[in-house]
Amino acid sequence: MTTEADLPELDPVIHAQPRLRVTVILAALEPEDQITFPRLREMVGMTAGNLSTHLRKLEDAGYVAVTKGHRRRTPVTYIALTRSGRRALEDYTTAVRALLGPPNPQREDSP
Amino acid sequence: MSSKSDQPNPTDRPALEASLALVDAQRTEAIRSLRVNPVPILAAWGVAWLVGFGGFYLASSKGPGPFVANWVAALVLGALFAAAVAMSVGQGVWHGRGVEGPSRRVSAMYGWSWGLGFAGLYGVIMGLSHAGLPSGLLPLAWSGGSLLVVGLLYLTGGIVWGDNVQYGLGVWTLVVGTASVSAGVPGNFLVLSLAGGGGLLAAAGLAQTTGSRRSERLRADS
Repeated sequence: MTTEADLPELDPVIHAQPRLRVTVILAALEPEDQITFPRLREMVGMTAGNLSTHLRKLEDAGYVAVTKGHRRRTPVTYIALTRSGRRALEDYTTAVRALLGPPNPQREDSP
Repeated sequence: MSSKSDQPNPTDRPALEASLALVDAQRTEAIRSLRVNPVPILAAWGVAWLVGFGGFYLASSKGPGPFVANWVAALVLGALFAAAVAMSVGQGVWHGRGVEGPSRRVSAMYGWSWGLGFAGLYGVIMGLSHAGLPSGLLPLAWSGGSLLVVGLLYLTGGIVWGDNVQYGLGVWTLVVGTASVSAGVPGNFLVLSLAGGGGLLAAAGLAQTTGSRRSERLRADS
């Protein structure tokens, strides 16, 4: 029997659709790589203001590291997923899968 | 703070399913956007070898031909190789734009290795030529030497990116290089065209099937 108390918790920071998408994109980068703000914005298809807001929430949660640097005297903003951000995404998908069904559903078993 | 819809509801099945589907779709799209797809690059090189070296075979007076002028064959080979280089470099730059970090450094170093390898080969062959290597042997020195460089770089790519198809292509290229030298002129051009170009096209086909299988597995795992 599953009671309400047994249900795995879903991280509200990651659960919100736009932030889930940003997190998945950052998780697709190679380890230790970072991405510039304009490229991320292009991939996620949001306005700059919107993306900044979501990035701030992810940064506040410690899931995303934002660093500002310079390239040829132009300021550049780099974004990367932190270790706890990667962990949070894994925990979230594990929790969603656990809520949706048995822990090891075999595809062959389904009718 | 967050709106109501942002608050997760663990019992809302459709919403959870939508979330999982979003993760899968976004991951697939991100990988497609960030990673270079080897299939069109291998195919472009395959066509360049097949047609380019095939042209040199058809231009040779020692073979069944000549059917085309030497300068036409050289022009076609040059144009096809230039296009394939531009495509390979362009793809890397396009997919990697706005990304910085260790993976970019590795890609850049790998790209430079091709130029350095061929510069080294040029130096060796020029040196041999000055030392008295008969000019009739130059085509063999070039085909054998180039394929050694290309084969080793495909092996390297296979090691760096854990890509079995690329590693296998490296092994095949080394075999083709040896065979091309044994074949002599103009048979070496036929070997480069059919075995070399054919190998590249086969690798493109293999990369296509393993690539789609990999993304299927990724979807099944997540």
